[in-house]
Amino acid sequence: MDQAHQRAFAVISHVDHGKSTLSDRLLGLTGTVSERDMREQYLDRMDLERERGITIKAAAVRMEYRAADGEVYELNLIDTPGHVDFGYEVSRSLAACEGVLLLVDAAQGIEAQTLTNLYLAVDAGLEIIPVLNKIDLPAAQPEKYGQEIAGLIGCDPSDVLRISAKTGEGVAELLEAIVHQIPPPSGDPGAPLRALVFDSYYDIFRGVVAYIRVVDGAIRAREPIRFLATGVEAEADEIGIMAPDATPIKSLATGEVGYLIAGIKEVALAKVGDTVTSRARGADVEALSGYREPKPMVFAGIYPVEGDDFPLLRDALEKLKLNDAALVYEPESSSALGFGFRCGFLGLLHMEIVRERLEREFDLELIATAPSVAYEIELSNGDRRIVRNPTDMPDAGTITEISEPYVSIMVVTPSEYVGTIMQLCQERRGELKEMHYLSPERVELRYHTPLGEIIFDFFDQLKSRTKGYASLDYEPVGMHPANLVKVDVLLNQQPVDAFSTIVHRDKAYAYGKTMTERLRKLIPRQFFDVPIQAAIGSRVIARETVKAKRKDVLAKCYGGDITRKRKLLEKQKEGKRRMKQIGSVEVPQSAFIEALRLDQEVKAQ
Amino acid sequence: MSVVVAEATRSGAWLEDPGFGVYVHIPFCRHRCHYCDFNTYEGQEALHADYVVALVRDIERAVGDFPRATSVFFGGGTPTLLPPPSLARILQAVRDRIGIEEHAEITVEANPETVDEGIFEALLEAGFGRVSIGIQSLAPHVLRALGREHSAHRALDAMRAARRAGVADVNADLIYGSPWERPEDWRSSLEGVLAELPDHISAYALTVEEGTPLATLVRTGRAPDVDPDIQANRYEAAGELLTAAGYGRYEISNWARPGRASRHNVLYWSAGNYLGFGAGAHGHLDGRRSWAIRLPRDFIAVADDGGFTEEGAESLEADHRAGEALMLGLRLTSGVNLAGFYRRFGDLSDSRAGVLEELENLGLVSRAEGWLRLAGHATLIANEVLCRLV
Repeated sequence: MDQAHQRAFAVISHVDHGKSTLSDRLLGLTGTVSERDMREQYLDRMDLERERGITIKAAAVRMEYRAADGEVYELNLIDTPGHVDFGYEVSRSLAACEGVLLLVDAAQGIEAQTLTNLYLAVDAGLEIIPVLNKIDLPAAQPEKYGQEIAGLIGCDPSDVLRISAKTGEGVAELLEAIVHQIPPPSGDPGAPLRALVFDSYYDIFRGVVAYIRVVDGAIRAREPIRFLATGVEAEADEIGIMAPDATPIKSLATGEVGYLIAGIKEVALAKVGDTVTSRARGADVEALSGYREPKPMVFAGIYPVEGDDFPLLRDALEKLKLNDAALVYEPESSSALGFGFRCGFLGLLHMEIVRERLEREFDLELIATAPSVAYEIELSNGDRRIVRNPTDMPDAGTITEISEPYVSIMVVTPSEYVGTIMQLCQERRGELKEMHYLSPERVELRYHTPLGEIIFDFFDQLKSRTKGYASLDYEPVGMHPANLVKVDVLLNQQPVDAFSTIVHRDKAYAYGKTMTERLRKLIPRQFFDVPIQAAIGSRVIARETVKAKRKDVLAKCYGGDITRKRKLLEKQKEGKRRMKQIGSVEVPQSAFIEALRLDQEVKAQ
Repeated sequence: MSVVVAEATRSGAWLEDPGFGVYVHIPFCRHRCHYCDFNTYEGQEALHADYVVALVRDIERAVGDFPRATSVFFGGGTPTLLPPPSLARILQAVRDRIGIEEHAEITVEANPETVDEGIFEALLEAGFGRVSIGIQSLAPHVLRALGREHSAHRALDAMRAARRAGVADVNADLIYGSPWERPEDWRSSLEGVLAELPDHISAYALTVEEGTPLATLVRTGRAPDVDPDIQANRYEAAGELLTAAGYGRYEISNWARPGRASRHNVLYWSAGNYLGFGAGAHGHLDGRRSWAIRLPRDFIAVADDGGFTEEGAESLEADHRAGEALMLGLRLTSGVNLAGFYRRFGDLSDSRAGVLEELENLGLVSRAEGWLRLAGHATLIANEVLCRLV
């Protein structure tokens, strides 16, 4: 279709504000999906997403819409992931659009992550169509939240559309607004091909399916292509559109949105943000701007609870990696936990999703070490290095400076919780940067805080302390030096790797005290006293003792039944064999696992 | 065999030649105690007579050539729930079929509420020279909580009656560390029993065994669980008191006046051979451990039919046997005589020898003058050592 009749847009919205319902409604109203085929949250592909009510991977769908002016328009709805960890993916999805629908729940108002994405869209120069959804709800306050939105984007409150995606009210007007307010694409059809990969996923039958927006030129089936960032060369085995099911077509013209299958085996080779060019004409084509390598921010050791499951875990990670360019992992071993992997994640949700998928799709029981961030260490000899695992931290004496990643966090909250949130942020070493009243009742707070302080349970704390009303978003803002120390936990003088951590000096004692107390309760008594120490370098900051057991003996031999006595002792011997040996101390792995399960609570204190 | 020789074998030390034992099981009690998981049954009085007949037949039909018994032990249950003539008949069957050495140690277990002077006289008459009385405690509330039927008074009476009847060897069985016991309860029980001058004292830490009423009480929170630290305190208190009173500890739970250690007991710990007769009784012959049908009714039926009353057995290969012998022998205060041990069981395998060396390095066992023994401080944590040796 000619460029003038194309529109590409995304929906910016908070979880539960009705994005999926609106998408379904648009598919229905434009006749893209028949009433009969409609199922809830049509565009969400995975069970996990459906259950959590969130969208992880973006999708795109083409709709044909005959507008009031009698013309037929091609509408491309580009779905965006709804969580902070996928901020980069959101930015690429937005780069494939000319406009966005800012969709806000009329009973809730705008939330933090919506605000972040809105700012991204504004920065990208996209046309913003403000929409209040769920106006059918009794609790809806369209006046109030309309004011709020108008204040944010600088429009008149009357320009804010009011719809109910559920009942369909106002959606027809929204379609007209899309056609009339969002500009058509402005690419050059005569230029060599440049297509933006704004999402990709791995299909077990087809390999990688990349979603693309043709920015300049056109792409034809069977055409030899190249991915500029990865250098991968391939042939466009199939190109097509989602309408909403995959429909192969011969070519995608400038401004069009579709998918590309090119026999690529893993998504890391067709990364989000990459530029697809034609090998015939693409010799000196410039890559589209904005590409970035996925950068893991949060790291944790993941171990199978059953040591025998290690090969299964390895295979499972390999399979997940096919579909997750951001997941990185390498094998690691721990004296306490056996063999596992140190994994890197984009952020907390990403970590949670990976772990849940490993457990659910591959039926693995896993234990994760406390998540950590990547620290930048400056050594006295001038070398700098990145440490992702506390156990890799060089000797304290050789370190001149430790820097840690900071994030800018944005919290949107009812104003009554401002004090609570300020307290929480201060506990996490946050520095207030900005406070902005969206309306008399709602406040946007911006803090700079170490990422390491929020990766444990910040979000849970925020939710519980604000009865679920506050919303959170964050973005990295670089590395800053901090007064950090590595705290080791030692069992009878032997460090237990899984419990080493890097914390601010002010929090070292609390961590050490709580962990040594916890381990004292979990570690079985040995035949000698076992000191449990927390130490910074060689300086012990907390100490507990597991007192030697005093009695472990079978009282008597009943009527010459030696067999029973021997079997009891054989069982005890077998139990010993299964213990983890930390120096001379025998500890059941379950004790370490239990301590780690509780570890997040410790960090929170 | 002279009396002098017999006394020497009762020092309580590990024996290279432990003799030959016979164990006879009487699986009946008037009332089952709350902590008991032994093979014993209450309310089966109707079976008593048949059981005696079956037991005698089973003894008469024992297959094999055996040396004469150096010790015989009637345990239960409550052997004295059977009338003395029945016990006499069974003992006679052992004498007729197996043979008993002249100065053999012949023990019968008794519960205080089932005995008096007349009964002890009859038992002596039948040939029993040693009685082991289940005193357990002299604290009334502890006795009640344990589910014992007798009073403290009755318990002491039983000991006195045995003496009056002329029983030369009296053992008192005691239990310590039950959830309701106070330190003074244990101390006064020991003192009360010691005042009767028993020859031998067995003191056992109460163990909460699966499937007992006590285990149910503990699991449902109606009784506190036993506390190993408290039991350790009690054990140490007992050790001090008994040592001061002239008793020597020859095994983890057994104390005796000089020359009064239980020969039968030492035989078990010296990995000796013994036959077991009766329901659920265990026997051991040169590495083959066997056990009989547990239920009295079934035992009677099979024995009456002239059938084989053994229910199961295991045979240990040489290395395993040596490990077991170490696990048993190290419970004795004397430890194991290494020269004698090697003569009986051969050299230790490399892996077992390695474990022993490691235990020595940890200071948990020691070697002196040809004896290998548990370190004093390891007595109460013997499992820690023994489980590595089995």
